[in-house]
Amino acid sequence: MPMDTTTMDPEGVTETLNREKVQAYSGPEPEWLKERRSHAWEVYEKTPMPTTRLEEWRYTDLKKKLDLDGLAWPEVTECADDFDACPDGLRDAMEADRAAAGHVWGIDGLVFHIDLEEDLQQKGVVLTSTRRAVDSHPDLLKQYLATETLPPESGKFEALNASFWTDGILLYVPSGVRLDLPIRVTRWVSQTGVALFSRTLVIAEPGSQVSLVDEILSDDLESQTLVSDAVEVVAKDGAQVQYVSLQRLGHGAFYQSSQRTLAQRDSTLDTLNVSMGASTSRVDLNAQLLGPGANSDMLGLYFGDDTQHFDHNTSQDHVAPNTSSDLLYKGALDNESRSVFRGIIRVHPKGQKTDAYQTNRNLLLSDNARADSLPNLEIQADDVRCSHGATVGQLDAESRFYLMSRGLTREQAERLVVMGFLGEVLSRLPLGGVVEKVTNVIEEKLRQV
Amino acid sequence: MSDAPVLQIRNLHAKVAEEGTEILHGLDLDIPAGEVHAIMGPNGSGKSTLAKVIAGHPEYEVTEGTVTFHGEDILEMEPDERSQAGLFLAFQYPVEIPGVSIANFMRTAKQAHLPEGEELDLFDFQDELLDRMKLLDMDPTFAERPVNDGFSGGEKKRNEILQMAMLKPSMALMDETDSGLDIDALQVVAHGVNALTEEDSQMGVLLITHYQRLLNYIKPDVVHVMVDGKIVKTGGPEVALELEEEGYADYREFETA
Ligand SMILES: Nc1ncnc2c1ncn2[C@@H]1O[C@H](COP(=O)(O)OP(=O)(O)OP(=O)(O)O)[C@@H](O)[C@H]1O
Ligand SMILES: [Mg+2]
Repeated sequence: MPMDTTTMDPEGVTETLNREKVQAYSGPEPEWLKERRSHAWEVYEKTPMPTTRLEEWRYTDLKKKLDLDGLAWPEVTECADDFDACPDGLRDAMEADRAAAGHVWGIDGLVFHIDLEEDLQQKGVVLTSTRRAVDSHPDLLKQYLATETLPPESGKFEALNASFWTDGILLYVPSGVRLDLPIRVTRWVSQTGVALFSRTLVIAEPGSQVSLVDEILSDDLESQTLVSDAVEVVAKDGAQVQYVSLQRLGHGAFYQSSQRTLAQRDSTLDTLNVSMGASTSRVDLNAQLLGPGANSDMLGLYFGDDTQHFDHNTSQDHVAPNTSSDLLYKGALDNESRSVFRGIIRVHPKGQKTDAYQTNRNLLLSDNARADSLPNLEIQADDVRCSHGATVGQLDAESRFYLMSRGLTREQAERLVVMGFLGEVLSRLPLGGVVEKVTNVIEEKLRQV
Repeated sequence: MSDAPVLQIRNLHAKVAEEGTEILHGLDLDIPAGEVHAIMGPNGSGKSTLAKVIAGHPEYEVTEGTVTFHGEDILEMEPDERSQAGLFLAFQYPVEIPGVSIANFMRTAKQAHLPEGEELDLFDFQDELLDRMKLLDMDPTFAERPVNDGFSGGEKKRNEILQMAMLKPSMALMDETDSGLDIDALQVVAHGVNALTEEDSQMGVLLITHYQRLLNYIKPDVVHVMVDGKIVKTGGPEVALELEEEGYADYREFETA
């Protein structure tokens, strides 16, 4: 019998997402970028849509959770750079912000405002939108955007994002320049039923120091909106970088974020992912420890209610000898919410003297909430120290009674326990202002539950 | 002194809510305002169950009888409402609340005890907390430690009395607060409790204990003996001394008779 050689139809091609749209979008762009997008789209077509048969997608069924066919392009709002004209939710989030060395804000995938301290500009720090950078800093984009860090070949969503990104943040810190205060990004989503693609690129040259706090939020969205982020962070030798993501989207959002961090020799590259919002939130985080002495602290917090679904898929790649990483993800789950944590520590053959840790802890606040935790190790070097652990616990009746016997209502008791539980992660955050911000974000969510 | 007892219990029957074993088999108890009562009884006689039922633990179900507090039926009240009404239970086994500092916990509890719309004055609170910690010979840094997390047995008990001193109940149930305390700590805790009863001469106290030792420092007006879910004897401080001598043998016979 002859083999059936017909190739499968490409998956995930819709009236909104297709080759013609890529071409149309990149029409006015320079040749190199056109080629990049076109290549990314080819990869997208060739890559099958992830299914639950794949280990990494076993608990997140895209067939049920994401309706690509229902997504349209957002209308382009040419909103002026006018703070007072911003939606309330965006203004509130920005006003709650503490001192920063620079601010970025945007709506529906486009950046509308950027400011940066004068003396940092003079020192050569670049803070701009990726859209503007196509003209102003093409060399940085050519070198770093969707190339070695997060190429389209990384996966279906990574290829889709590389095909369609509309805007994002470029942060470049020259050698030896240190920012005392963080850069704060606030992104608002207002349109419903649309697909939004954005990229964040952070390049920290040797010996530099920078922290980026990236907050995305919205009200509840009537019909499903896909919010896709691709985050690439590079810490060169001896650089210290902190990337913080605060996801506070409303119900109706399908949030998808792919993050990869490259830590070179003696650098510190820490991340914090705070997942509070969206109906479905999938975060893929890969930390690469590429140079001896590199270190990554990877923190995560999530808090679900209703039928929210969180999926954190992390990996720690120890490629060079003498590197360390320490991951702690903690989540509380109420009502019928659900979380999946899948994490792997990979020690490559040259990764001798690796120190790698991974911990995931879950607190269930309701009988109908669920948490699956799947920690994993893959070790190809013999002189390493690695450990992993996972727990899923219930808020026990005894703790609740104890607190209530002191006069706290049931809700107050639960809030206090959750705050205490998640607080362990906050206590490990080095930056004061960020702790305050994240604490407020959690308290805000606790008030809603 | 007011006529009606602060706490009045009549024919109290209570069982474990889930499995249904009855533990309290028709118990009567009166604690008038300003009096200190002690309950002694063998392990498993139901002393902690009684204390938890009074405080409203959801694990137990009252099947018969009444519990009134300041003349009001409290059996339908939630544990937080009972606390706000002035009841306090010092736990035999205090619970650990990781990540929540004593100061934060007490601030939340004090706020919960205020009438709707009233805001806790944080400076007054801070002063009061330091003051109370001093009374109980506690280091001020203790306030920043997570509630009972990693505490020694004695520290946990002291922390219970600190909470009691902060919330100033009109009726305090103390379940084996003396167990796990060394002699010095016992004196400090007793001193704290006595200071509170002096501050509020109307405050009622129910001490659950196995040892006469505590009663040397906190003098009871009345001592009850509890066996198998009932009060089987009530008398003066001499009852505790008798028990110390003779144990519960007589009462056990009484129970099976
Ligand atoms: N939740 C429960 N489920 C099952 N049995 C229980 C429960 N609570 C109490 N009991 C049982 O009821 C009896 C009384 O227990 P309780 O703790 O009240 O005794 P106690 O007098 O405080 O003892 P001790 O002096 O040892 O503290 C015991 O036999 C105990 O095992
Ligand atoms: Mg007991």
